[in-house]
Amino acid sequence: MNPAVRRSLRFVPLLLLPLVPLVDHNNSHIDFLANAGAFILLALGLNIVVGFAGLLDLGYAAFFAIGSYSYAMLASQQFGIHVPFWVMLFAASGIAAIFGILLGAPTLRLRGDYLAIVTLGFGEIVPQTFLNLSQYTNGPNGINSLDSPSLFGHRFGFSATPYFYVMLGLIVIGVLLASNLQNSRLGRAWMAIREDELAARHMGINTTAAKLSAFALGASFSGLAGVAYAAKLDLVSPDQFQFNVSVLVLSMLVLGGMGNIPGVIVGSFALSFINSFLLPQSTNLVHSIGLTWIDFTDYRFMLYGVILVAMMLFRPEGLIPSRQRRAELREALTDPGISAQEQTEYQGAAR
Amino acid sequence: MDVFYQQLINGLSLGGIYALIALGYTMVYGIIELINFAHGDVYTLGTFFSLAILTGLGVSGEVHGLALVGVVLVTMLAAMLLCGITGVLIERLAYRRLRNAPRLAPLITAIGMSFILENVMQLWKGPSPISFPAVIPNPSFQAGGVEIAAKQILVIVLAIVMMVALQLFIRNTKMGKAMRATAQDRDAAQLMGININTTIAMTFLIGSALAGAAGFVSGVYYGTTWFFNGFEAGLKAFTAAVLGGIGNVAGAMLGGFLIGLVEAFATQYIPQGAQWTNVVVFSVLVLVLVFRPSGLLGEAVPEKV
Amino acid sequence: MRLGSALARLSAAGLSAALLAACSPSSTTTQSTSTSSAAPVAAAAGNVIKIGVELPLSGGDASNGIPTRNGVILAVEESNKTAIPGGFSYAVDDLDDAVQGKHDPALGAQNTKTFISDAAVLAMVGPFNSNVAKAEIPLTNDAQLTQISPSNTSNGLTQGDDGRKLRTSHPELNSFFRVCTTDDHQGAADAAFAKKLGFKAVFIVDDNETYGKGLADVFEAQFKKGGGTVLGHEHLNAGQTDFKALLTKAQNLRPDVVFFGGTTVSGGGLLRKQMGDSALKTVAYVGGDGISDDTFLKTAGTMANGSYYTVAAPETSKLASAKTFVANYKKRFGVDVGPYSANAYTAAMIEIAAINKAITAAGNKMPARVDVTKGVAATKGFVSPIGTVGFDANGDTTAPILSLYKISGGKAVFVDQVNLKT
Repeated sequence: MNPAVRRSLRFVPLLLLPLVPLVDHNNSHIDFLANAGAFILLALGLNIVVGFAGLLDLGYAAFFAIGSYSYAMLASQQFGIHVPFWVMLFAASGIAAIFGILLGAPTLRLRGDYLAIVTLGFGEIVPQTFLNLSQYTNGPNGINSLDSPSLFGHRFGFSATPYFYVMLGLIVIGVLLASNLQNSRLGRAWMAIREDELAARHMGINTTAAKLSAFALGASFSGLAGVAYAAKLDLVSPDQFQFNVSVLVLSMLVLGGMGNIPGVIVGSFALSFINSFLLPQSTNLVHSIGLTWIDFTDYRFMLYGVILVAMMLFRPEGLIPSRQRRAELREALTDPGISAQEQTEYQGAAR
Repeated sequence: MDVFYQQLINGLSLGGIYALIALGYTMVYGIIELINFAHGDVYTLGTFFSLAILTGLGVSGEVHGLALVGVVLVTMLAAMLLCGITGVLIERLAYRRLRNAPRLAPLITAIGMSFILENVMQLWKGPSPISFPAVIPNPSFQAGGVEIAAKQILVIVLAIVMMVALQLFIRNTKMGKAMRATAQDRDAAQLMGININTTIAMTFLIGSALAGAAGFVSGVYYGTTWFFNGFEAGLKAFTAAVLGGIGNVAGAMLGGFLIGLVEAFATQYIPQGAQWTNVVVFSVLVLVLVFRPSGLLGEAVPEKV
Repeated sequence: MRLGSALARLSAAGLSAALLAACSPSSTTTQSTSTSSAAPVAAAAGNVIKIGVELPLSGGDASNGIPTRNGVILAVEESNKTAIPGGFSYAVDDLDDAVQGKHDPALGAQNTKTFISDAAVLAMVGPFNSNVAKAEIPLTNDAQLTQISPSNTSNGLTQGDDGRKLRTSHPELNSFFRVCTTDDHQGAADAAFAKKLGFKAVFIVDDNETYGKGLADVFEAQFKKGGGTVLGHEHLNAGQTDFKALLTKAQNLRPDVVFFGGTTVSGGGLLRKQMGDSALKTVAYVGGDGISDDTFLKTAGTMANGSYYTVAAPETSKLASAKTFVANYKKRFGVDVGPYSANAYTAAMIEIAAINKAITAAGNKMPARVDVTKGVAATKGFVSPIGTVGFDANGDTTAPILSLYKISGGKAVFVDQVNLKT
């Protein structure tokens, strides 16, 4: 078979995705898929910043919060403003992008790990500020009863199915955007910066513009995810955007493969599945046979931790790596045993 | 004015704990340029170890006289030792392999280690705050309308003593010299016959032991601990290390005290200030990194290429 | 009923029908009374009707959730000993809404969806925390699934515009009820008790969470109204352990009482403990039911003495109807009742009574959820361990009784009780 045809055949199962709600009528399954979709979007966005441009952002949940709160404030009874959902999708991604630039601009000079800490600080400040400004945000109560989106007169309501399609649509757009970016001039600039910023600058790349656009584009994805997620949950509250959300999304990237779009999607789906399906369900299962002292959901954070550590040590390129990233991360491992093994593996892969 | 001095004492004693944690951050960063994210959790582990040792010794309340000195020394040294060993193990298992990897790899590993430690502690003692026996009698002294508790003095003095001891160690011992050499140029140090692995392990041992001391002191001081303590304390201690100039031992202590003071004064002088302390501290972090990444006492170091 | 959830319910019913049919071929009952649930439902549910319990069951919050869940277990076990129409029996299905030991609205909403998609669940008891309820009420309202909270005291859950906004799917039929009273009552009772105890100047601290801040805000307003002085009102950070600076700020204002809005775990225990190291050592401490747990006694240690708290329930030892319950609970679980055990027991009993009635009305078949909800809404004069219970149009209890306790000698001692609707 022609390799091009074979390659495109791999995507046939994806075409079946829109049919899922027609086959599986269990609302909680569709609900799970829609939530997972939000995290795939987040992961795609973070991938631009961390995977493509190599800027470690530990406060990514802050942009998610900004997206969600934008929707909550501009499309609810809160201030009596009712911007339509579809408009808010773009508006909020724009707002998040602006905050991305605001955070990015002063921090561009910073080295990688300092940048990580600044973003972490930002990630702590944003939800705390939303919490404290209770006269605008209802503080800990959060904002609820957000406007339900509607399409062609059909109101979404509480059913997960319409949100499933919205997420699917946004993911398709996100993937197209991200993969085009990756192969663009900008994408190559990001990769050059990731591999050696100094060299990139000397090659004439405008590193400032490239890094800022990575921040802005990455943030805009979480703006999209924030709006869709807030509308779906019908509630926005400050405790939804803590540090562990940033780490969860990062773990998705690390698991799937930083810099590689299919890897990121697989990683985020897998972790969402484990997190909100496998752990609770298996807990219920063991509880139903009387082992009530076992609670697998208690190990959630252990799981993120083990993923981060084990992947970095043994497979830093992720489960489904991009070729460049793999080479870059692997060459650095100095342990002679590993590199010998790697060499052979590598030659095998090259063949 | 009394309030001002009272908050000064509050801030310094809170800052003393940050300072002790910050010393470990700064040492590790100084030598391998890694933000050891798990350091805050090693500190929490210090409170857990101390609690376990006190329980093992059968101490559940105040101890007096010579026994007090014994209990404090035994518990603190044992907690320091256990934390030190934990630190060395973390370095050996999680960081050593990645010593030459891109810088983000060990940082991500460190975040992972932090989550693992937190979860282990949560499984060990459960997720709620645990009480810590009030080992030390806590008389307080009145000085010009300001009340100073014995524990507050203990924290402040211990932070300063540890800092000075560490400074002397780094300046005057052979191992200290090896550390400085390794920090400056790892390859050159190796060529000079310094055992890099031992030196780095030693750095982790000392840094983590200081976190263990901080853990013991904070347990005694607050009478409580919980598994998630280290996240915020660690972050603030890191802020302190950066503020003082990372890699600089005296700077870490200065930064720790300053962050403690910022918190106390923000609580006092900002209307409804308590809820804004974290925002203020993390804003300090962002601003320092943006405008003076080398910190107060640090020297600007060009990025190593 | 929107198409999506109708389909979802059908599929859930169908799936569980298939599963149950596989393991119990004898279940052949069919029914068709319910419009939204299709024929296989009765077969699906077999003979078991589940009461969904949605509470924080792990971590620090478990000391609230577990005694509360036990109340439901007791109610179900006792009901199974009685004759239930249609040959049904009851079972408890519990889901935990705590993440890292702390109640979590998103997980609560998730759990609720799980219950909604399980056709055997005809009613829910829970949640424990008001912010969790806020995420769940729109869902149960949409599914018309009865939900009775033993402990949610936040007013906005049922009353006014806030309450209406939460039940937009079926504004005509409320499906969220509570057997405890509300924050305005609890805050007001706290303020009234504080006044009665002779306190004049208060420093208020809350944990910046839905329950704690709501309670503290009401207390502040009511205490001022009663002629008291509010010296300050501060909000804590999540996970804060050092309260020395805050206490210095407070002691300088010379309050004669510190009010805490929040729970033991969110700072209430430690704050009280650290008052012992400050000039506020001898100052009284008043809180809501959030500090009414054993964890508070443990965390605050000897400083727990001299603290007061209210519980949004009558003191069980003062009620004749409670004596049997208290004894049975002790016999079944080997420990004393928790502050909300009786409320949870009552909630489950009200639901079971309504389900029993609905079964009979449906011709001894599995009833529709909406009929259960209607039955619960009509509850009046229900005799229970917490007195005679009924619901008003908002789903709030018609008997808001609050009790005040003082901790002395490491034990909570009953001080006073008010019924705010007399």
